[in-house]
Amino acid sequence: MLRCLTSAIVQCRGIKQQAKIKWVRPDYVPSYKAEKSGDLENIPKISDDALGLDYTLSGELKDAPESVKKIFSVAHLGPKEYKTLVKEALTERVKQHQYDDTTVEFKVAKMTAQIRCLQETMDKHPKNVIAKKACQELIDKRKKTLKLLRQYDYKKFEWLLEKLNIEYKAHPDTYNKLSRKESLKKLTELHCEDVRNKKLDEYRNLLESQQGPFLEDKLNALKFIKSEQMELQLPVTVTDQDIKKVEKQFNEWKIKNEIKQQGKKKKRHLLLEDSE
Amino acid sequence: MARNLSEAARKVLLLGQCVPTVKHNATKIRVKRLELDENLLMFFKKDEFYYCHDPEKQCKTGDIVLIQALPQKLTKLITHQIKEVVYPFGDITDPITGKKVAKEKYREDIERETEVYGKLDSTFDYNKAPPRGWQEGKKDFTAKPTYTKYHVFDENDPYAI
Repeated sequence: MLRCLTSAIVQCRGIKQQAKIKWVRPDYVPSYKAEKSGDLENIPKISDDALGLDYTLSGELKDAPESVKKIFSVAHLGPKEYKTLVKEALTERVKQHQYDDTTVEFKVAKMTAQIRCLQETMDKHPKNVIAKKACQELIDKRKKTLKLLRQYDYKKFEWLLEKLNIEYKAHPDTYNKLSRKESLKKLTELHCEDVRNKKLDEYRNLLESQQGPFLEDKLNALKFIKSEQMELQLPVTVTDQDIKKVEKQFNEWKIKNEIKQQGKKKKRHLLLEDSE
Repeated sequence: MARNLSEAARKVLLLGQCVPTVKHNATKIRVKRLELDENLLMFFKKDEFYYCHDPEKQCKTGDIVLIQALPQKLTKLITHQIKEVVYPFGDITDPITGKKVAKEKYREDIERETEVYGKLDSTFDYNKAPPRGWQEGKKDFTAKPTYTKYHVFDENDPYAI
C-alpha cells in the first residue's frame, strides 16, 4: 500500500539506477568551431600597416610618404586583401616551389586559410548562414583531401598536419544521435568494469600477502628435510637448486612488499594532509 | 579426416587489413570475403574480424598483413598471429620497377619537378622525413576508433568527437 503511494507521488520512470551514476550531457558545439574542425591555431596576425600583396615589391612605395603608404595598406584595402595575405602566410609554410599552386599540400593550406578566416567571421556574426555553409563545406572537403593523402602518402600527411597545426580524427563507424539511455548504458558498463577490477585487485593483494609467509615456511621445511636426510644417511632428495630457487622467490617478494608498503604509507600521509 | 581438415585450416594464411581497436595487446584484422546467397545466386561481401597476437607491434592501422591461426588460443579473443606485413599503409612501392609511388606519380619524378622549379626551405624531403607514427596521439588520431562524445569526463578524450 505504502509502496504504491510513494510510487504515485514520486515519479520514477525510465531505467532504475542502482549504482550512483550521474550523466552530464556534453554541450552542443557547432561543427564550424575550431575544436570540431581540428584547427589548433588562429589566423596569423597581420598588422594594419602591412602593404597589399601586389604592392610589396614596389620600389616607389618604399620611399613614399606615410599618407600614400596608408592608402596601400591592408587596413585601407579591406578584408579581401587581408584574407589573401593570410592565405599567403599559410601556403608559404608548405609550398614545394615558387610557382606551386596545384599540389595537395598547397590546396590544403589554402583551404585552411579560408576556413580560419570564415571561422572568425562566424564568431563575429553567428547568424551568417552563407558563411556557415561555406565553412562547413570547406571543412568537409579538407577532411576528405587529408583522408586520401593519408592513403597514398602517409609521410607527407603527417608533415602537413605538423606544419599547418591541424588535428585529424578519423570518421567514427556510425554517427549515432546522442541519447540518455545509451549514454547511461555505457557509463554503467564502465562502472561495472571498475568494480570488477577493484575486486580483482583486492583478491590479488590478499594472495600476494600470503605468498611471503608461505615461502618462508617452505624454505625452512626444505632446509630441515635436507639436514634430516643428511643426518640419517638417507638418499638426499632436496637439491641446492631447489633451495636457491625458493630463496630467490622469497627475496623478490620482500622487495615487492617493501615497495607496496611505502606506497601505502605515502597514500596515508596524503590522506592525513588532505583531512588537515 | 576431420582432424586433417582442422590442421589444414590452421595452416591457411589469410590476407587482411589492420583496423583501429581499443585493445592494447592485440591487433584487429579485417578479412574481406564474398559469401554466396543460394536463393539469389549472388555473392555479397562479408567482413570477418580476427584479433591477432603482435608482441613486436609491427603492424599499424591500415596495413595489409598476412595472418595465421595460433597452434593454441592465447585468450578467448586472440586466435591468430601476424605473419608478415605485406603492404604498409601510405607507403606504396611499384611492384614492377620497385620505386616508391605517390598516387599516380613516382616520388622521384615529383622531386625532379620541384628541382627544376627550384627548391625552397618549405619543400618536403622524403629522405629526411621520419617514419610513420611520429604524430600519433599528437595530431593524428587514427590508431583507435573514434566515437560520439556521450559524457563530460574529467579528462578529455581526443578520440571523442
